[in-house]
Amino acid sequence: MVQQKTVEDIVREVLKTMYQEQGVKAVDSVPPSNKLVPERDYPLATKRPDLVKTLTGKSLNDITLEKVLRSEIGADDVRITPETLRLQAEIAEGVGRVQLAQNLRRAAELTAIPDNRILEIYNALRPYRSTKQEILNIAEEMETKYNAKINAALVREAAGVYERRNRLRAD
Amino acid sequence: MNKSKRFEALAARPVNQDGFVVEWPEVGLIAMGSPNDPVPSIKIEKGKVIELDGVVRDKFDFIDQFIADYAIDINVAEKAMAMPDVDIAKMLVDVNVSREEVTKVVLGLTPAKIVAVLNTMNVVEMMMALQKMRARKLPSNQCHVTNVADNPVLIAADAAEAALRGFDEMETTVAVVRYAPFNALSLLIGGQAGRGGVLIQCSLEEATELQLGMRGITAYAETISVYGTENVFVDGDDTPWSKTFLASAYASRGLKMRFTSGTGSEVQMGYAEGKSMLYLEVRCIMIARGAGVQGLQNGSVSCIGVPAAVPSGIRAVLAENLCTSMLDLEVASSNDQTFTHSDIRRTARTLMEMLPGTDFITSGYSAVPNYDNMFAGSNWDVEDYDDWNILQRDLMVDGGLKPVSEEEVVAVRSKAARALQAVFKELGFPAITDAEVEAATYAHGSKDMPQRNVVEDLKAAQDMMKREITGLDIVKALANSGFNDLAGYVLNLLKQRISGDYLHTAAILDKDFNVISAVNNRNDYRGPGTGYRISAERWDEIKNISQAIKPSDFDE
Amino acid sequence: MQINEQMIREIVVQVLQDIDIPQPVKAAAVDERPMTLVEKGEARPGTKADEVVIAVTPAFGKFQHKTIVNIPLSDVLREIIAGIEEQGLRARVVRVLRTSDVAFAAHDATKLSGSGIAIGILSRGTTVIHQKDLPPLSNLELFSQSPLIDLPTYRAIGSNAARYAKGESPTPVPTRNDQMARPKYQAKAAVLHIKETEHVVPGAKPVELEVRF
Repeated sequence: MVQQKTVEDIVREVLKTMYQEQGVKAVDSVPPSNKLVPERDYPLATKRPDLVKTLTGKSLNDITLEKVLRSEIGADDVRITPETLRLQAEIAEGVGRVQLAQNLRRAAELTAIPDNRILEIYNALRPYRSTKQEILNIAEEMETKYNAKINAALVREAAGVYERRNRLRAD
Repeated sequence: MNKSKRFEALAARPVNQDGFVVEWPEVGLIAMGSPNDPVPSIKIEKGKVIELDGVVRDKFDFIDQFIADYAIDINVAEKAMAMPDVDIAKMLVDVNVSREEVTKVVLGLTPAKIVAVLNTMNVVEMMMALQKMRARKLPSNQCHVTNVADNPVLIAADAAEAALRGFDEMETTVAVVRYAPFNALSLLIGGQAGRGGVLIQCSLEEATELQLGMRGITAYAETISVYGTENVFVDGDDTPWSKTFLASAYASRGLKMRFTSGTGSEVQMGYAEGKSMLYLEVRCIMIARGAGVQGLQNGSVSCIGVPAAVPSGIRAVLAENLCTSMLDLEVASSNDQTFTHSDIRRTARTLMEMLPGTDFITSGYSAVPNYDNMFAGSNWDVEDYDDWNILQRDLMVDGGLKPVSEEEVVAVRSKAARALQAVFKELGFPAITDAEVEAATYAHGSKDMPQRNVVEDLKAAQDMMKREITGLDIVKALANSGFNDLAGYVLNLLKQRISGDYLHTAAILDKDFNVISAVNNRNDYRGPGTGYRISAERWDEIKNISQAIKPSDFDE
Repeated sequence: MQINEQMIREIVVQVLQDIDIPQPVKAAAVDERPMTLVEKGEARPGTKADEVVIAVTPAFGKFQHKTIVNIPLSDVLREIIAGIEEQGLRARVVRVLRTSDVAFAAHDATKLSGSGIAIGILSRGTTVIHQKDLPPLSNLELFSQSPLIDLPTYRAIGSNAARYAKGESPTPVPTRNDQMARPKYQAKAAVLHIKETEHVVPGAKPVELEVRF
């Protein structure tokens, strides 16, 4: 446990410096007083368009048909960012939906993982697909490669449950 | 014995073609109140549930564990569990108790306790409760668009008509799996041709369904099944953890999604462990809550023939819809599968949800003749459109649809078929002929359509996936062939996944792509004069059926 | 009314028979051309690309002998095999014991099939054509409405499976749809499935079957 904690801390530290170097403001650092209020800020697209950016830094108004036809808009321009998902998690919490908020926070982490890898991980988590070690390796990958800590914890928990309930792949 | 002519007449009635069975609790063929249902209990130690409904933590199956750790609010659990069943039931029907107050209590209950509360209620009380507990204030409706030949042109035309008639969400599936990319594409274009802002999905094997969503061909997903016993969950090829991951995967791509479950599925799949259908379903609903999905499609769904065959089965189906609302989830309340030969029975079954209103009263209504419904037939189909409209008018109830004229319908069907024809041409798919466009415009079902070359279509549909064609390619193809309005709509649909506003509970889009959800349109029903009321404008829409004679009809 | 009563009676009788006296393994009365399924030990992966494996579920031909609409299972199997053979391929039959889910049974069999193509069939008649590299709950062709499958359809399923095995792209067997099949048969299907599932042996390996007509 202690070791795991240390690793987590190191990763967190490293990432923090990386973000700072890039000049990207980590959402975690937004003070609680700035929390979004559902009645005032939702829907974000119309009430807080200033907060909504695409992965490539464009705003919603930048995504126009003309630009699509000129091929200036790519697949990454119609994808949600981790920041937006975390803002939506705040909205969900504001109306008492804690599990939905947590789902959106897990989703924020998963934005970093490519489509094909997402599909592979999903299939690996299905019953009898993986050994315990394979599942733990996925957790490790999520944590170190994608900084997906909440997901890593969920996946680790799954490894334990599958072991206890005989849902691992028997080689 | 001489044969009674009365009994002969009764035996010939449609209802007597239905299948009924006596209760068989040992295998779970019982809707509510199985003698094997657990007695409610909870024990919490050091912030962890260590006993749930009589089972200690060491003995938890994976569903028990998931519910205990993710779905129960331990801060209120002990207090809520100590409340008498009828007191909680009375809160549910009391207009002076707000939805939020009820939800707070319910989130502290175990599955067996929720079942105990529901067991005390009759259907009228459940309907009262559902009217208050539904998440979104505005009720809505969803439909199916499929056909037995997987004919893409017909899917597009039927989708357009359905959107015009008022469905806010639409779902397709396949006769042949490999047709899926075409069905989804046809539904996307057809739906937007009927009304910009309609959300579409394609029901498939889980991983494939996600892939279509990621590519931007579909806008949401629903067929993410969960089950109430561990054995059946595994036969469904998932666990609560894999499904939770899948839920986050959808959200990570900015896609709306809900889970699906329903009474009867466990007994249908052979492992009900002797528990009542409702008890197992409540476990499913709590898995949905715990996984953090915004909503659930339930109401037995495709297993409706099972609860409908046993006593109090249709009451159990209403109870499961209610429970979904109680846990503050969007409810798409089924009414989407045939279960009876009797028009009386099928209407009575639907009034349970239509009168109180749900987030999606049917999920879905067959927007094609039932012979073309590849979900094996819905409780309502195209031939019932006028009945539905007149029920709305008779009772002044909003069932989500509106009367439409033949001219409007023909116009949107034609446009949808032409747009798909153009997109197929742009993308190099097998040609859609003018004769097919014409046939789809005026067709009732696939029997009215010329046959397509299925083998060529299937190859092209696979090709569409291999070429990784995305929503943006569809936008371009539409604009390049002069359908700029539809191109704009499809683009607007793609833009929803940037802001994520429609990831919230019970979200739909209006014709200007504004999100209406249980965040900015929360159900605030508190008795007469409150909550959702039909506006004057909407009432005019519902009232104006072409069948009604006017005094001016007689002026010359 | 009479139909339903009769159905309930039939079910109750079947259940009681199963509980009290284990029914001897013999063909059902309606079956005029009986079939014997001889168990030959654990099924092995095939190496020949010209075979299609047919996976039957735990109760098939052993505890249940008719489909949900009373077609003898011996006729069903005969037609599927004939469909495969008319394409010049060979059929191999295995019994899957670990599951009563038709998709998983078929998917297990694709791994045994030298061609990677398998057909799964439930005792009540539900049938699927499956391919090795697909997800278990996906399929090449699925015939989910068991009351609507007749013998010519079973033959066509066998034939199409063989054509997939040869690398061809056959036109799928036309899907049938009857929206009133559910009201009439779903409860019966549930009962039949419960009975089939009672014979599942978790973790058991598939068994090779020799079919004698």
